[in-house]
Amino acid sequence: MEFKASICIQTERCFYVYFSYLWNVSAVAAAIQKMTRVRVVDNSSLGNTPYHRPPRVIHVYTKNGVGKVGDRVLLAIKGQKKKALIVGHKMPGERMAPRFDSNNVVLIEDNGNPTGTRIKVPVPTHLRKLEGDYSKVLAIANSFV
Amino acid sequence: MQVKTMNLLCHSRKVLSSVLRSSVLLKPAEAFGSICSFSKARCISLSVPQHFTANLTSCQHSHHTASFTGHFDIKRCYSESEESRNSESNGVIEDDSHELDDNSSENSSLSRRSLETFSLDVLVSLLRQENAVDLCVIKVPEQIKYAEYFIVVSGVSPRHLRAMALYAIKVYKFLKKDEDPNVKIEGKDAEDWMCIDFGNMVVHFMLPETREVYELEKLWTLRSYDEQLKSIPTETLPEDFIFDVEVTK
Repeated sequence: MEFKASICIQTERCFYVYFSYLWNVSAVAAAIQKMTRVRVVDNSSLGNTPYHRPPRVIHVYTKNGVGKVGDRVLLAIKGQKKKALIVGHKMPGERMAPRFDSNNVVLIEDNGNPTGTRIKVPVPTHLRKLEGDYSKVLAIANSFV
Repeated sequence: MQVKTMNLLCHSRKVLSSVLRSSVLLKPAEAFGSICSFSKARCISLSVPQHFTANLTSCQHSHHTASFTGHFDIKRCYSESEESRNSESNGVIEDDSHELDDNSSENSSLSRRSLETFSLDVLVSLLRQENAVDLCVIKVPEQIKYAEYFIVVSGVSPRHLRAMALYAIKVYKFLKKDEDPNVKIEGKDAEDWMCIDFGNMVVHFMLPETREVYELEKLWTLRSYDEQLKSIPTETLPEDFIFDVEVTK
């Protein structure tokens, strides 16, 4: 059972002033790649202060340039580079894995410690089985999906 | 000399030798201070080879009133020395407790692997033995399908954290059966926060400053009533928001 959801349209002009995230309509081709706009879901100040440009992915640390849940990416936020971890994307993945309505990302330092201290948005539990250091992100998450 | 002091210590802690294992299922209203649970520690024996002088200090330093599991010292013996050492330590055992028979059954090295599993008791006792500061064990409720026990430990320095983590891994590897998966330390290059995920238990080794920043105990006890969560502003839709339904493929 996939978590299908409706997508909301948002006028681009006045979007950045009010709302911190854009809901887009175009179909998803590959999960997260360079130049995708992402949504930062933790409570870090870097991810939550408004800026005139949304955070974009500038590099994906995988063999192919496609980022799925659990992959590290490099973001350009507020004119600076920051590493982040993907915790959910719009592209459908495995059958029983959750699909999200937005490409969610958690900011991370270079040593793997999360920048924020809490994550309100649901985080997938299959992160635990993946190879990689996800226990820290799971430890600060509030709800699991 | 050490034997005598250990004896005294054990006698003084006779009262405390039966410690309840209280696993705490938490309601949101409960105070933060009451969450730490004590593991059931059995004061079985106190063997005294030289490298166990640390145990004395750990007894005194530990925040919680419990005696460590003496049988665990024998384990340490196994992992580091030969059998002759172990038989020597057998002779030194104080019969302070009522569990001598347990002792003797556990002393057969070959069958001991199958008798002991790496449970919460073992982990907590080894952390106490390593002079862990502020050990906190939280029983995670069933609804959260993450782990059963969430443990947060502080250390004195990054090196101390690393030593504790490596020792925990060492003991786990010794006690695990072949079908149990191997466990790795996450966050090896971060010097202030390391985690180990043992299936049903998750341990976090942090420095006290890092612990203050993240406040993991608060989050895991007061799940949605946590203060930091509440201070995250809720996202509101802007005024000119147009809601349209569109189905993707």
